[in-house]
Amino acid sequence: MKILEISNLTAGYWRLPVIEDICIDVNDGTVAALLGPNGSGKSTVLKSIMGFTKIFKGSIVYDGIVITGASTTKLARMGISYVPQINNVFRSLTVKENLEVGAYTRKNDLSISEILEVFPELRTLLNNKADSLSGGERQLLAIARALVSNPKLLLLDEPTASLSPKNTAIVLSKIREIKSRGISVLIAEQNVLKTLEISDKAYVLVSGRCITSGSSEEILKNENLGRLYLGLKR
Amino acid sequence: MINWLQVLTNSIIWGCMYMLATVGLSLSYGLSRFPNFAHAEYITFGAYMAFLFLVMLNLDIYLAVGLAVSLSAFIGGLSYLLLFKPLKSRGASLVHLMVSSIGLGFLIRHFLMQTFGGGIKSFRIVWPTISIGPIVTTPLLLAILIVALVIAFMLHILLTKTKLGKAIRATADNPELAAASGIDLNKVSLFTWSLGAALAGFSGIFLAMRSSLVPLLGWKVLLQTFAITLLGGIGSFYGVLIASFILGLSENVGVVILTWLGLSADYRSAIAFIILVATLILKPEGLMAVARRRV
Repeated sequence: MKILEISNLTAGYWRLPVIEDICIDVNDGTVAALLGPNGSGKSTVLKSIMGFTKIFKGSIVYDGIVITGASTTKLARMGISYVPQINNVFRSLTVKENLEVGAYTRKNDLSISEILEVFPELRTLLNNKADSLSGGERQLLAIARALVSNPKLLLLDEPTASLSPKNTAIVLSKIREIKSRGISVLIAEQNVLKTLEISDKAYVLVSGRCITSGSSEEILKNENLGRLYLGLKR
Repeated sequence: MINWLQVLTNSIIWGCMYMLATVGLSLSYGLSRFPNFAHAEYITFGAYMAFLFLVMLNLDIYLAVGLAVSLSAFIGGLSYLLLFKPLKSRGASLVHLMVSSIGLGFLIRHFLMQTFGGGIKSFRIVWPTISIGPIVTTPLLLAILIVALVIAFMLHILLTKTKLGKAIRATADNPELAAASGIDLNKVSLFTWSLGAALAGFSGIFLAMRSSLVPLLGWKVLLQTFAITLLGGIGSFYGVLIASFILGLSENVGVVILTWLGLSADYRSAIAFIILVATLILKPEGLMAVARRRV
């Protein structure tokens, strides 16, 4: 069953379309990747789902409901969580407060210990201001904050950008764990090989258009695609 | 000989008054990202409403103050809903929002002048003096001190312990992420604007009871409220607390120095201006480092 179905989506800012005719499906409990060079429109796809862009054409269906143009607040309350590439934590709030705000829409009480099982790295940092965290810690907090709302779909915008190889590995292992808990993930990434390792399906975007899609194996086998657009050397 | 304990007491009481007048301006500035010049008129509005209920309609003082503060909250919420929210949702620039707030301020002020007249009014309450050692005060000044401390404590609890307070801080910190966390930005803004106007109205009542009621009551402390907002750091509640007492102390010590120099105490207004300019030059992000440590 599809948790997310984007059809012929054209969206952008003000009067300027940035992505055109994008079609993306995310199946329930799977990880789908948006790959492509800088400026290809990966982030705009995620922002369009979350209601941060102007939609010119097309439709977005989430869990069987049309959500095209719905407000960000409503989408969050429907179970879509979003982790932006930058400014993805509340810097002036403590780690604990970030998690509490992340759980804003949660009906039942937030159990901090529940989320710390997945993110034990945050256990000793609960009373620290998010502003004081390292890049890796901040990224983990951003993902943890998005997860505490019990989402059905998690949108991640370049979660490994600017992270060390060690922190990248930690973040990717968390995404695997999130998937194993049955949460669907749509991830925009430039770290192609690592992302394909954890993805079930991938879409390659170039200049705002989706030029191809397929399983991770199919994308990896396409040598021209990898060399021309994804920075893969063979 | 100068009674420094009296100077300190006066500084604390003025700090309390400024804190009540400024908290709302700073929080709404941090949340909505523009300075609302009509905030001065929320101060005046609260005072006139208290005058209406207390002096003209002869209601009980607690009821009169409660109604006046509630109506101030209503005016603050209404100005957000009918003016600033539609303007912001249509992408109005900072200048458009500022000019609109100046226009709204004129509208409220002239409405009050048309309704109540432009003359000086008095609450006709004679406050007895109380001597506590070398300090001379009045029940009104003690009430200002107590009310301000209680409100400051309640605001601290609201902002740090409640879901709504954390939502206000999160929205001031990062509105997009707050929306993506399911926080209804409009409800949070409406609450903050109403709360800020209510506190401004409260401060207006105290200001008018302490001296007299005139249509420029709020306008006269607008410079002080902006100096405190900038010195404390825009949107920072704790910054407002500290900056209010800094300004209260500076003004009161300033008056002593002005008197010693043989100059008029009217120059005390210049102290807020000096603090404002010095903040903008030396520490424009304010004491509490604005963008990162809001509230």
